[in-house]
Amino acid sequence: MIRRVLPPLAPALIALLVFVAFPMLWVVRTSFNELEAGAYIVDALTLDNYTRFLGDSWYLINTLWFSIRIALIATAISVVCAYPVALYIARTAGLQRNILLALIMAPLLIGLVTLVYGWIVIFRGGGLLNSLMIALHVYDQPVRYMWDIKGVVILLVYIGAPYVVLSLLDSIERISPFLVEAARNVGASRWTAFWKIVFPLTMPGLYAGIVIVFALNFSAFAVPLMIGDSNTQMIGLVVYREALLNNDLPFASALSVIMVAVNAMILMGMAVFFGRLILNRLEVKR
Amino acid sequence: MSDDAIQVSGVVKRYGATTAVDNVSFNVAQGEFVSLLGPSGCGKTTTLRMIAGFVEPTAGALRVNDRDVTHLPPEKRELGFVFQNYALWPHMTVAENVGFGLKLRRKSRTFIREKIAESLSVTGLSGYEDRLPRQLSGGQQQRVALARALALEPQVLLMDEPLSNLDRALRVTMRRELKELQARMKMTTLYVTHDQEEALSLSNRVVIMNKGRVEQVAAPYELYENPATSFVADFVGITNFLEGSAVGVDGGSMGVRLRSGQVLRAVAKTAVTPGAEVRALIRPERVTLTTKPVDGENVLSGQVILSEYFGAVLRYSVRLDGGEILRAEVHNFDNFVETGAKVWICVLPEHLRIIPQEGQG
Ligand SMILES: Nc1ncnc2c1ncn2[C@@H]1O[C@H](COP(=O)(O)OP(=O)(O)OP(=O)(O)O)[C@@H](O)[C@H]1O
Ligand SMILES: [Mg+2]
Repeated sequence: MIRRVLPPLAPALIALLVFVAFPMLWVVRTSFNELEAGAYIVDALTLDNYTRFLGDSWYLINTLWFSIRIALIATAISVVCAYPVALYIARTAGLQRNILLALIMAPLLIGLVTLVYGWIVIFRGGGLLNSLMIALHVYDQPVRYMWDIKGVVILLVYIGAPYVVLSLLDSIERISPFLVEAARNVGASRWTAFWKIVFPLTMPGLYAGIVIVFALNFSAFAVPLMIGDSNTQMIGLVVYREALLNNDLPFASALSVIMVAVNAMILMGMAVFFGRLILNRLEVKR
Repeated sequence: MSDDAIQVSGVVKRYGATTAVDNVSFNVAQGEFVSLLGPSGCGKTTTLRMIAGFVEPTAGALRVNDRDVTHLPPEKRELGFVFQNYALWPHMTVAENVGFGLKLRRKSRTFIREKIAESLSVTGLSGYEDRLPRQLSGGQQQRVALARALALEPQVLLMDEPLSNLDRALRVTMRRELKELQARMKMTTLYVTHDQEEALSLSNRVVIMNKGRVEQVAAPYELYENPATSFVADFVGITNFLEGSAVGVDGGSMGVRLRSGQVLRAVAKTAVTPGAEVRALIRPERVTLTTKPVDGENVLSGQVILSEYFGAVLRYSVRLDGGEILRAEVHNFDNFVETGAKVWICVLPEHLRIIPQEGQG
């Protein structure tokens, strides 16, 4: 099996090794080095860079826990927004469906910078959103969205929701309509048939969507950089600042390792949770 | 009150320009086993799904147990339904699949547990409670689908080709079990199939459908012996058609003048006007065939163009002197007749069925 699969994959595996595995190993190695006089990297084997982050409750609360919280909130909102959209698209066909799919994917195709500047028009003090909300008497003073965590969450949702829609759509379309009819036949209302049959069977898609979006959100850096304020210390942004602004590569490397490790731990936790919940029943082999 | 468990009256279903079901009417009596039989695409499934409430009829009315269900949602109809592909819920165990409907009805736990055990034992699946559908063979899945329908003790059971995904041997076994089960439970059953053997062996009556219409509703014996249309004659079993015109119509007797000019006597069962274009139907096993010249009424002569030996039966194709091809099937009492032999064929008047010609049909 492996012998037959390996040769055609060789170029890809080599590329993966050169462009992913080596840099990662290099990052891990650098994370144990020391920074001398705030400028020179000295080869060493020290855990200082790790303790500087993990031993500092300010970092733990304002960076690590903050990132987890924002990522969870944005992921949850993405799911809530994406689910009805996916259900709706699953019922369409032909041109209507293609148009809807194109609209859903559009945010992923437009460059992030363009996207963000588009949203600035909507978010800023006298922008569309504030004008609308004030006109509707939801509130009467402009609310600050830009350079605030609200804007960060809105944009993370905006970027994340399409992934959830697409992965949910795949799951929904795999559900045979006969399964719903069978439920209706034994006495389930539309609503019961949805909750007891359709919803559980969309779990694989929901899980895939949540995993992708949570990982993206947790390590987000461009969105917090462009829209966040000085309190938006999301971990990806801190890595960027330490590496490129403060030139502290060993610390930035340690942060990266922590970021990847925490991300992996949370994703494994989700795998166990969803597996127990339902996937173990559905999946043939993983 | 009526004796009928299911009444289908003038039901029509159109999909855009196509008419899937075209003015279909038939009844199923209490406790009766009725099959819907017809070629692929004739509207059997659509008819069944309209009764179950999965498809909204374009016109017509449906009554189940003297209740108008035409516009009732499926969950209010209280009918059992077995799907062609079983439609088991993949995330539920066998027991959960079977018990789902009972749980929705808020029955007590013990009641549900007993009912699940009972349905599974009836379908021969005891011990499989905790399996998931994907851990079952096709035949076992089929039984779960049946158990799921039976658990709710429906008065009416609808089945859409429940055996078509099984291999032949299993199909025959399941067919027998199904028949026993239905007889024991006295459930009114409407069964869709395109397998005539299945329909004839299971049913009290069969509804033959073609192109969205009902061709004939009759007991299996009637369908075979007295097909109402040439479609039915052709679809159920094998039939010879001889074309001609009606002559000498006289009470219970009539004649058919074939193309060769020869006249065959037949027992008249339907009203036919003299001179009308008709078809004479003869079952291959109803003819007698000899190599010795015979004289008399209803004798046709011809030449064997194909003879096939099957052990117990012998099959011949004979080109009649009028040019028609007639198939004959005889039991192996006589000598085998070789291809090319001159033969004489006798048909009794009561074995000839006369049907007016329908258009080009
Ligand atoms: N949802 C639909 N949209 C359009 N046409 C349909 C639809 N459902 C059925 N039809 C058409 O209606 C006709 C009858 O279909 P139906 O499924 O009832 O046939 P059937 O007798 O069950 O055939 P089979 O033996 O192949 O299952 C077919 O011509 C089919 O193409
Ligand atoms: Mg069908």
